[in-house]
Amino acid sequence: MYNSTEKLFEPYQGFIRGNMFKNLYDGYGPVYDINPMNEQAELLTYLDMFEFAMIDIGLYLDVFPNDKEMVNLYNNLKSEKKKILDKYEKDYNSLSLDSDDLNKMPWDWNKNPWPWEG
Amino acid sequence: MFKYCKKMEYPINIKNKDLKMAKNLLAQYGGPDGEWAAAMRYLNQRFSMPDERGKSLLTDIGTEEMNHVEMIAAMVEQLMQGATKRELDEAGLTANYVQHDHTLFPVDANGVPFTSAYIETTGDYIADLTSDMAAEQRARATYEHLMTLTKDPDVLGPLSFLRQREVVHFIRFKELKEYYEKNMNN
Repeated sequence: MYNSTEKLFEPYQGFIRGNMFKNLYDGYGPVYDINPMNEQAELLTYLDMFEFAMIDIGLYLDVFPNDKEMVNLYNNLKSEKKKILDKYEKDYNSLSLDSDDLNKMPWDWNKNPWPWEG
Repeated sequence: MFKYCKKMEYPINIKNKDLKMAKNLLAQYGGPDGEWAAAMRYLNQRFSMPDERGKSLLTDIGTEEMNHVEMIAAMVEQLMQGATKRELDEAGLTANYVQHDHTLFPVDANGVPFTSAYIETTGDYIADLTSDMAAEQRARATYEHLMTLTKDPDVLGPLSFLRQREVVHFIRFKELKEYYEKNMNN
């Protein structure tokens, strides 16, 4: 639904492979699914996959800045990402110091867990 | 300007302690083809890129490598959770314990400290991009070696992701180099 082109994987499939571009994918062993342990982790995985798609398409656009289809796709993914980010920050915790949810008491930014804590 | 986003690029949730694997993963933390070296290399080389394509690609790949530094660090931390001194000793991590307790420090899998020599910058964009392509291939090979040393899917998932990013970065550097060779008067 996000890909008007057959060139790309859907965001989740691209994310777990580490590559959005079907023709560039060069696997080594099986593809590993993400297994979120709760609803919070599941929502974060949706955010991760849209953000990843933006990172990977962004690198492509750095080298091929005149690809209109990819610029449109980047912006579609950005809109989807924003919806999930807003929901995640509202339901759980702020992910950046630009968050709209830093008006809570106590200060929401330093709330555990930090990313390396799993 | 760099801003922190309080999440990983790809989630790290390792449930089983594995000290030998923690030590092996240091190769990609403070090693010559590790993520620290890659991040600093590209963020340092970007100043001598000749056009918008190069300045953006080196900035964005360098920034992504910072995410990978964080992923490797989290993997080492989680693999070492709850280790006893005896377990550290058996895994060859006694010297790490003496100097750094249970936490990590930028060395390679042999304990050799990180050095800025890994940042490889010449100021010549063709030389730098050629070097970057080789660095991505060396890192890909290192990830393949690491993947043969574990059966834990919690470790293999992130390693497989990180390996594939080396594949993609190699291709983007190659495309940029080819564009410059065609369009710039070297």
